[in-house]
Amino acid sequence: MRSPIFTVLLIGCICFLTGFSPFSDQNTVEEIAPVTFLAVKQGEEKGSLTVATLVPPIMNEEKQFFSTKVRLLEQGRRQFNFKYYREIRFGQLRMLFIDEQIAKTGIVNLMDTLLTDPEVSPRLFLIVFKGDFEAYTKNQMQKQKDLDYYLYRMFKHYEKENQGEIAVTNIHEFMEKTHTPYSDPYMPVFNVDKNCFSYEGTGFFSNGKLKGQTDKEQDQFFLLLSKSKFLKNVIIEPLDLSLGEVHAIVKKQVNLKDHTVVLKIQYRGRIDEYRGSKDLNSQADFYELTDEIKDYLEEGTVSLLKTFQELGVDPLEIGRQTLTPVSKSMSAEDWLTFWKSAKIKVDCSIELEPLTI
Amino acid sequence: MGDYKLFDKTAEFGNGFIIAFVHQSQLLYFVLFLPKMLQQSYLLFGILAVGILSQINLFILSKSMSYMDSKQGYNGFAKLFGHRNLRIIAFAGIAVILIKLCFIVLGYAEIVHQFIFPSMQPSWLFLFIMLICTYIASQGMEKTLRFGIIAFFCTFWMILLYIPYFVPPGADVLDLYPLIPAGRDEHPWKGMLMIWSSLSGPEYIILALPWINPKQKALTYLSIANGISVFLYIVLFMACLFFFGTPYLGKISYPVLNMIRYLQTPVFERIEIVMISMQMFQYVFLASFLLLSLYGAIRISACSVHKETGRKGLYGVSFFVLVCLFLIDQFFGRQGKELNGWTNLQLWSGTLTYLLIPSLLLVANIRRRRRSSH
Repeated sequence: MRSPIFTVLLIGCICFLTGFSPFSDQNTVEEIAPVTFLAVKQGEEKGSLTVATLVPPIMNEEKQFFSTKVRLLEQGRRQFNFKYYREIRFGQLRMLFIDEQIAKTGIVNLMDTLLTDPEVSPRLFLIVFKGDFEAYTKNQMQKQKDLDYYLYRMFKHYEKENQGEIAVTNIHEFMEKTHTPYSDPYMPVFNVDKNCFSYEGTGFFSNGKLKGQTDKEQDQFFLLLSKSKFLKNVIIEPLDLSLGEVHAIVKKQVNLKDHTVVLKIQYRGRIDEYRGSKDLNSQADFYELTDEIKDYLEEGTVSLLKTFQELGVDPLEIGRQTLTPVSKSMSAEDWLTFWKSAKIKVDCSIELEPLTI
Repeated sequence: MGDYKLFDKTAEFGNGFIIAFVHQSQLLYFVLFLPKMLQQSYLLFGILAVGILSQINLFILSKSMSYMDSKQGYNGFAKLFGHRNLRIIAFAGIAVILIKLCFIVLGYAEIVHQFIFPSMQPSWLFLFIMLICTYIASQGMEKTLRFGIIAFFCTFWMILLYIPYFVPPGADVLDLYPLIPAGRDEHPWKGMLMIWSSLSGPEYIILALPWINPKQKALTYLSIANGISVFLYIVLFMACLFFFGTPYLGKISYPVLNMIRYLQTPVFERIEIVMISMQMFQYVFLASFLLLSLYGAIRISACSVHKETGRKGLYGVSFFVLVCLFLIDQFFGRQGKELNGWTNLQLWSGTLTYLLIPSLLLVANIRRRRRSSH
């Protein structure tokens, strides 16, 4: 009764076992190298790229830094395969380091390439770097064996809800924000040289092109207003003060008639270091300091928003406040012209716990 | 081979089966890219409206089912339409069932090809899926229908995977605005048609009539299944809107599956592979059911109903389907994915069958009643 099915199964098994199979992907661990990052840089000629990576990612072997000049990203993978005895795979790709130059010319097509590959996760971290990535990696991998893994852990750490410190973003968020009107993507910017890999601030994109970035001081305000709305530490140098565990509750309003954008921000935090001259135990001094902090935060936020206006970006998605359930929304261009010339009003209030021992 | 019967009936299924069948048939391939086609958030109301229409249609279906004597099977239909007419109807049915069957298998193979085995030839996938379907179908109609319950439990939990997309800050109600269409330049009709077509499928339950007992509250169970499906459509569409936002949604292929790639678990990373593999139960169940129906329709139109069913016939039919699959793949393969000519064909055929079968059946039943009462 069951003989035909049995025969088919038997033939099937024989085919698979003898290596005749329809799968052309072979995933033998010894033969593949699932790299964890790619660093993309502008090549010397126009339109060309320099792609770099570190192999092998896991094996207990001497690490090698590969770099090649190509026109297409996938061509990079092919070039690496020519030089290396393992096949490069993107299945474990976690980070994409993008050179500042290339970020300025537009990176949406690079993202498209990566998203087309079903192996590449949409959670791939995106990072802008300035400087010589090759020198850093070559120098650092002498000292630190699993360099790429620890870099990944760093981004993973800050990605988790409410970690603050670095505005981490991934490829999905980047693409969604690029395509959605009234919202522009951002990426962390790192400065790389032979000896260090250090965080510089957040870079802002519009239409897939890097427009500008914040410095460290401004970056604190951006982090407090963006997704996580939390910072472990806000350093206020002019007042010789540090605020800890700062949470922000942000209300954004767009007033089309008055041509103004209003931000109401409620901060909550505690003073965790103070080296100034005021006596925090005196009520009057404490109030005075609170006012000074408030003014500082207000000024800083206004200057951040002014920067956004100059750059013509809206990473805080303020324009989305104009959306209503019923009326027709304004076009993205109309919003941008409005935003560039809008008056800004920032209204901060701060709730402070004093420095206690 | 003497006691080998494909369409034997030894037991009657409970009403839970109706829910499982209708639910499975309404959550097929179209749903996977329906959000992309709808795109505009105000079509959430479109889903609701089409869901209500579908409910009315199911009311007609249950009414006409209650007129039929479910025990009689083929003879019941023959009495209703006459042998000659039934043969013509069955002949038309061959085309419709074949389109739907090929559509399901091709669609599933396409998904597997895109998400799991991009380097594999899709024709291998047709072969594997058809082998499984043939095996299940060769167990007979009753076991195939029972397999439907397994398939139901294998796929029903998948909706839970979409819960994370409803958690803020990812989910922002501003993503759904504006809820009222602003311009007149959009064409929602194609989207509405697609919702209707993807809700089609419950009409095939009349082919399983002898195995179910439709007299008892069939309408209630049909409505529950329809309600669940409409709810799931809305959940999926909203999740897509939250996750991608309207403009980006239009650029994503199979958004419903694509968004699952974003989920992360500490144990394994590519949840979509598990999900797609589990969905195979659903596709294989409906494909084997349709394969048996196709075999039955061919027998009716060839006037060999009273001959014994044999394995050879069924294998012949599945081989025929396999050849059709290769041909369709050759012919439409170059037209690009999703809304190509082939999908449009299924879009219309699904729409028409769901629209016409319940009403035609009702009209035929009423006419016969009048005739017999005179």
